[in-house]
This record gives sequence, C-alpha cells and structure tokens, in this order.
Amino acid sequence: MARPHRFRTILATALALLIGLAAAQTTIDYWLWLDDTTDPVWPAIVEEFHAAHPDIIVEYEMIPLGQYYDRLLVAASSGSAPDAARFKEWWLGDFVENDLLAPLDGFVAGWPGADDVIANLYNTGRTRADGPVYMLPHQYITFYLYYRADRLAELGVDPPTTTDEFIAISKLLTDPANQRYGFGLRGGGGGQDQWLAYMLAGGCDLVDDAGAVVADSQACIDANQAYIDLFRVHGIAPPSATSDGFAQVIGAFEAGITSFVAHHVGSSLRLTNVHGDALGVMDIPVVDPSKPATMAAMAGNVIFADGAKQAAAWAFLAFLTEHEQMDKMSRSVNGQLPVLASVAALDHYQNNKFFALSLRQADYATAWPPLPGVGYISSQLWQASMQQALLGDITSEQMMRGIAETLRGNY
Amino acid sequence: MTLGLNRMKRHLVPLILLAPALITIVVVIGFPIGRAVWLTFHDYNVLRPARTTFAGLDNYLATFRDPVFWTALRNSLVWVGGAVSLQILFGFLGALLLNQRFAGRYLIRGLLLIPWATPSVLVALMWMWMLDGNYGVINDMLRHVGLIDRYIPWVAQPATALPTLIVIDVWQGVPFFAVMILAALQAFPKELEDAAVVDGANVAQQLWFIKIPFILPTLLITTVLRIIWTANYMDLMFIITNGGPGFRTTTLPFLAYTTSYRRLDFGQGATVALIQALLLAVVIVLYIRLLRRRQVV
Repeated sequence: MARPHRFRTILATALALLIGLAAAQTTIDYWLWLDDTTDPVWPAIVEEFHAAHPDIIVEYEMIPLGQYYDRLLVAASSGSAPDAARFKEWWLGDFVENDLLAPLDGFVAGWPGADDVIANLYNTGRTRADGPVYMLPHQYITFYLYYRADRLAELGVDPPTTTDEFIAISKLLTDPANQRYGFGLRGGGGGQDQWLAYMLAGGCDLVDDAGAVVADSQACIDANQAYIDLFRVHGIAPPSATSDGFAQVIGAFEAGITSFVAHHVGSSLRLTNVHGDALGVMDIPVVDPSKPATMAAMAGNVIFADGAKQAAAWAFLAFLTEHEQMDKMSRSVNGQLPVLASVAALDHYQNNKFFALSLRQADYATAWPPLPGVGYISSQLWQASMQQALLGDITSEQMMRGIAETLRGNY
Repeated sequence: MTLGLNRMKRHLVPLILLAPALITIVVVIGFPIGRAVWLTFHDYNVLRPARTTFAGLDNYLATFRDPVFWTALRNSLVWVGGAVSLQILFGFLGALLLNQRFAGRYLIRGLLLIPWATPSVLVALMWMWMLDGNYGVINDMLRHVGLIDRYIPWVAQPATALPTLIVIDVWQGVPFFAVMILAALQAFPKELEDAAVVDGANVAQQLWFIKIPFILPTLLITTVLRIIWTANYMDLMFIITNGGPGFRTTTLPFLAYTTSYRRLDFGQGATVALIQALLLAVVIVLYIRLLRRRQVV
C-alpha cells in the first residue's frame, strides 16, 4: 500500500509550495486611464509582467480620465491611494506639495534602463529643476496641426508656417453659409493644451528661466489676444467653438467642417482612417519662424509615499518602461510618443510622418509648469476664463492675470 | 403602578421599535450633514487632512464676495423655476390627455415613461449630439424645413445654453408629473363630476374648481420633490456644458462640486452646498405650511 502514501506526500508538498509561494507574493494596486479601454495590449503586458515576476501580482483598475483626478483626491484624503498610478504632470505640484509621492531617484539610479529614457524628459517628473524625480516619464505627446492637404492643394497654397499665413489660409477655407470653417478651436474642456501650444508659438512663456510666473506679461496677454481673435475677429472657428471639446473638434474635422485642427499623435490612426492621404500634419504656426514652439504633455507613473510595497511597485513601473513594452504600447490604439531613445529610433516611428514630427518637436516643446494650481487651471479655470474671453465677458489681460495668480498659488 | 408601567410602555415601545431607523438616519444623513457644516468653518486640505485649520466665517465671506456664486444662484433660480414650471404645465396637459379613452392609451402610457427611465448620463450624451452645433440632427432638420439658415450652437452661446438644458430636463421630467397627476385624476370620484354637470359647470369650471383642488395634494408633493431633485441635478451641466459657456449654466451644486474637487477648496464648496440646502429647506417649510392650512380648512 505504498501508492496512497506517496500520493499524499506529493499532494502535501504541492500545497506547501503553493502556500509558500502565496506568502512570498506581493500584490500591488495600480490605477490607470486609457483613451481606448478596449485595447488588448495593456492586459497582455500585465500578464507578461506576471510571467517575468511571479512574486508580484498587479491588480490594476482602469478609471475614465474624467473621473481620475477626483478618485485620486478621495483616495489620497482617505489614505487609500493605490501603490502606484499613471499620472499627469498637471497634478504633480499639488501632490508633491503635500508629500504624497515617493521620490524615485533612488530607484532610477539602480535601474539598468535609466539611460535609455530621453534625458530631458525626466524634468517633466520634477517640480524643481534641481529637485527629485517624482514621476517616471512613460508616454508623452506634443501638439501639432492636422490639415486637409487636398483643400490646400485646391487653393494652390503651401501649408502655413507663420500665424499670419495660417489666418489668411483659414479665412479662405471659411464659408459659414456652407458650414465650413478654417480652424477647430477648442474652447471646451481639455482645450488648455491646444491653447498653451498657441501661446508658446506666439511668444508667451508661463514661467521664466528662474521659475518665476510671468503668465501676465504683455507678451502673454498679446499672444492670448491673438488666440481670442481667431474666433472673435477673424471668424475662422465655428460658432460652437466656445464649448467644443475633443469629440466635437475631431468630429468636425472628420466631417470636413473644419480644415485645421490641433491635436497629437494619439489621434493619427483615427484621422488617417478617415482622410487617408488627404491628411497633412505640420508644426504649430509661429510668430517667429526662427523660434519653433509647441507644448508637450507627459503621462508618467508615480509611487505613493505612504505605500509599503514601493520596491514591488517600482519593479512594475520599470517593466512598463522597458523597450519591448514601450514599443508595443506606442504602436497600439492608445499609442503616444515613446520616452525611450531606443524605441524612438525605430523605423516605425522615424518613417511615420506623425511620429517623426512629434519626436522632432520634443526638442523644443514645453510642458505646463509643475506648480500647484495647474490641476485647477486644467480642470476648470482655463475653460471658464477662455469662454468668458471668447464671449467678450473679460479681457485677455483679466484672463491672464487670473491664470498667473493661480500659478502663484493665490486661488 | 400598573397604570404607570402601561404609560411607560406606550412611550418607550415606539421609540425602541424606531431606534434602528433613527440610528440609521443619524449615521447616514446626520453625520454627513454635521460634517459638511463643520467643513464650512474650516480650511480643509483634502490631500493632507491633518493640515486642516479653523477658518471661522472666512468661507462664508469668500462665498458671498465671489461674483460666480451670485451668478450660480441666479442660474439655479432660473433653472429650477423654468424647468419645474414647464414640467407642471406639460405634465398636467399630458395627464389630461392620457385620462381620455383612446386606442393604444396603455401603450402610450408605457412609452411615455422612457425619458424618465433613461439614465441621466445617456440623456445628456444623446441630446449633446442631437444638438451639436456643427452637424447635429436637430439643426439639420430645422435647416431643411427652413426655420434656420445657419446651424445654431445651442449650448455654446449664452442666450440659449441654459434654456437648452431646461428643455432637456423638461423632456425628461414631464413623464413623472404626467404619471403622478394621472394617478390622482383616476382616483377622482365620478359622482363629483356628475354633480358638477348637473349644477351647470362647464369643462373649464370642472377642471378649475373641482379637479385641480382634488389633485392639489398630489400636485404639491410632486412639485416639491421635483424642485428638490432639479435643484440638486447637475448631470446635464457636468456632461454637456461643464458649467459654461462662461458660467452661464453653472448652478449652485455644480459650483459646490467644482470648488471642492477642482479648486480643492472643500470648505467653500461645502458652504455653497449648505446655502443651497437652506434655500431648499425654505421650500419644504412652505410646503408643510400649505399642507397644514389645507388640513385646518
């Protein structure tokens, strides 16, 4: 009767191994948002991480971007923040000021992949030039202009490079009687990034080299007035522009109502499917062609300071930022610009006109300053102020003064 | 002694039986209200609650000095007054029609509830796209029948933004009024109507002097409920306009939300919410007084 005894031994050993393994496993919570939640790439990457790190289980939760900040606030205030989370540089200032994020310099120093990250992108995760990195860069975008190449060809004009050329061409493409407008200005929610791109191209800096807020400088007031005038004076934007959000401006461009729209590489697949070869892409028109400018926005990853599993959380964040995973995510429907130099150098990105332009723009793109108040500006203040300015309720100076004071912490 | 024990039982037993409900009310409703009032007197740091400080009346002063608060108050009055009065009117007319006998009336009564039963988020998204200022189907139809020659940005221009949201809310809320009033009309005694006819009352006189007074309690409670719900309702503002354009559709609950969750000023956000709650309490007090007066009469 030796067989039953052997079976019990094997069973007991297997159970002990499983229990031991479970005891040695660490489970981390990770929050993220995705523009397209049906993307199968993300769950596949998590499973690959599990295979590579059997001692760490990642339980991730996808939260719509519109609710993401609210959820982070509630979680932070109740002490129930996840171990790690996808993050935007808009929110860095508020969270760092309240000591909610763990500095990552120690982890980055010991990470073999650290040098592959495009060096200046680490700055998007800092709140001071000489401060620690709180957010590991992951995916970013730069703003450019899509345009209808076929319509410009009909007019016999080249794509504009200056703001004056852009306005002139947009006027030619504007015919309100036939529901045609030159430019899809986004005055609704989320339009602050497009606006910042124009402001930077118009010669405005929100902060100077010393980090002082100068958003209420005359240069910024003038640049903002020029943006307002696109709607109020030149009439090249649809009347709905005051409240148009992403879906409206992209939808109008897809439907042929507008001929120029500002966005980023994340929408290139979608718009190419609609317009094919008629879809062109160009830099944001500038006041001074010798000084190209646009805005960049970074989505990175953070580890919360109160978490007890920071090492395990870091292992996951580092995995997400490795070559193979970065390449997969950048090619997916949620694809944005890779932060790794080795991925950015691949032919797929260099030979794609949208990625190629975006990667060139990274040299001169500027992000929102990592100050407390940027979260408020991006979620509410900018839209309310911009709409008031577009409607003539307030002046450009009043709008910029409000933004400047908020960046200075007076709100 | 037995009498005393009985008296004690009469007073204590109801309290004991009600205790679970009372405790639940205190915990689920009373605590949050108390906490909200506490917030109005503090400068609450949502990201680091331990750094919260006492603010005295600063939140109230800041609220009353904020021009956006007065804009939101005015918008709330227009929003509630406009939406509820139109719902009463169309709900009443709808109920009168549905109280008639015609083929398919039961089917129509069922279909009528669809707007009311549709989740608010779906209602908002649906109307947002139907009213789109560039290629919405409503603009398209109006242009085809010649009522307009250019598409109208319904929610993007100041003059039409709030009225548009009112129309959407009326579309959604009319079925509630219609169903409630219809139920009251169907309980109307036939003999009262016959007596009125015998006395020579015409249709309008029957309606004004007999039917409306009969259904008034139902109408009152429906109106009070709808005022409270509409005043607190911000789904349409949240999804369609985000309170814009330029605060034209910012109401008190929306202002409370954005002040708290976007400006991270929970103290002042709670203050705005408390002021709205006090205004609604006035409505409830008026309703109770009206009811009492009717009972006395």
